[in-house]
Amino acid sequence: MSASTNTRMQPGSTVLWEKGDAAGHDALGTRTFGFWLYMLTDAMVYAALFAAFGVLAHNAGLTSKSMLASVFDAQAAYRDTIVLFASVLAYGYAMVALKKGSRTGVAIGIIVATILGVIFLNMVTGDLEHLFSQGVVPQLNGFLSIVFTLVIYHALHIVVGVLWMLVMLMQMGRDGFTSNVVYRLINLRIFWHFQAVIWVFLFVFVYLQGKVI
Amino acid sequence: MTHSAENPLHHPEVHQASLSGYVANFLITVLVMTAALWLARDNSLPAGSLVGWTSLLALVAVLVQAYLLLHMNWSKAQIWHTVAMILFVPLFVVMIGLTMWMFHGLYQRTAIAMPHQTMAAPMHPAPAASAAAHTVKAA
Repeated sequence: MSASTNTRMQPGSTVLWEKGDAAGHDALGTRTFGFWLYMLTDAMVYAALFAAFGVLAHNAGLTSKSMLASVFDAQAAYRDTIVLFASVLAYGYAMVALKKGSRTGVAIGIIVATILGVIFLNMVTGDLEHLFSQGVVPQLNGFLSIVFTLVIYHALHIVVGVLWMLVMLMQMGRDGFTSNVVYRLINLRIFWHFQAVIWVFLFVFVYLQGKVI
Repeated sequence: MTHSAENPLHHPEVHQASLSGYVANFLITVLVMTAALWLARDNSLPAGSLVGWTSLLALVAVLVQAYLLLHMNWSKAQIWHTVAMILFVPLFVVMIGLTMWMFHGLYQRTAIAMPHQTMAAPMHPAPAASAAAHTVKAA
């Protein structure tokens, strides 16, 4: 039975979606858009956490003033800000090198971004360890729980980003700029640059405003 | 668009990277965050204006990042990214705004007094306590 004699679709053989490099199908654009929707969904998780922060700020008075001052160390958070923004800039440099097709340039940009990401993590975990050793721990009250959850949730994103950058360095070395490697590099750019956006909210609403709300 | 069969490096999403844009983003956002830190430096501002001004600076930084880092624009390659972002904004507002509004109303109606609030208005639990003490004495 050919399609001309029977117009009914054959479920077993009908191609609904051309996979791979079919003409007219922008695989790279589809994948980055799908990943962008995933990032926005992740942002909804952050929104839930920030909503909890806004609600539990009512309990901020349960934490002593000196404890709040050591949790919301604006100078330390500012230092973190500069390092994270510099890492984002380094990844941007890698993306400019990708445009030129320079493997060395992309590798340098990603390595610098990775190193700065590790420095950021090192500073954040150092601060957390210091607070925990002073007895400032998440389980003291609801407000401290949400503050530490926000900071650690963001730090976990940085951990994932650093691991992803190491994986991309390996894939790039192995395969070169294939379409798979290129769309993953762009998705990683979306991921990494999005962390800088989230950090602005963390820096301003948690570290700068946390003491006064 | 038929970019996938060609060299992936020719895709418009690869070509939107811009060194001047990324450097400008870095300089502007660092400057804005420095200004926010400066406002909060010694708690000299009243809490309300500190929250207002630093929130405004956060908005400026995020808009700059959305345009220069996340490439939110109306180009053919990015328009749906931008539309998705814009459609998510009301969801963020509803999620955070409604939650905080609801709990704010709850706290007002249930009058759970927290330590910093009892300092501002210390008379809330006191009359009940003294009344209870009188009752005990009377008994």
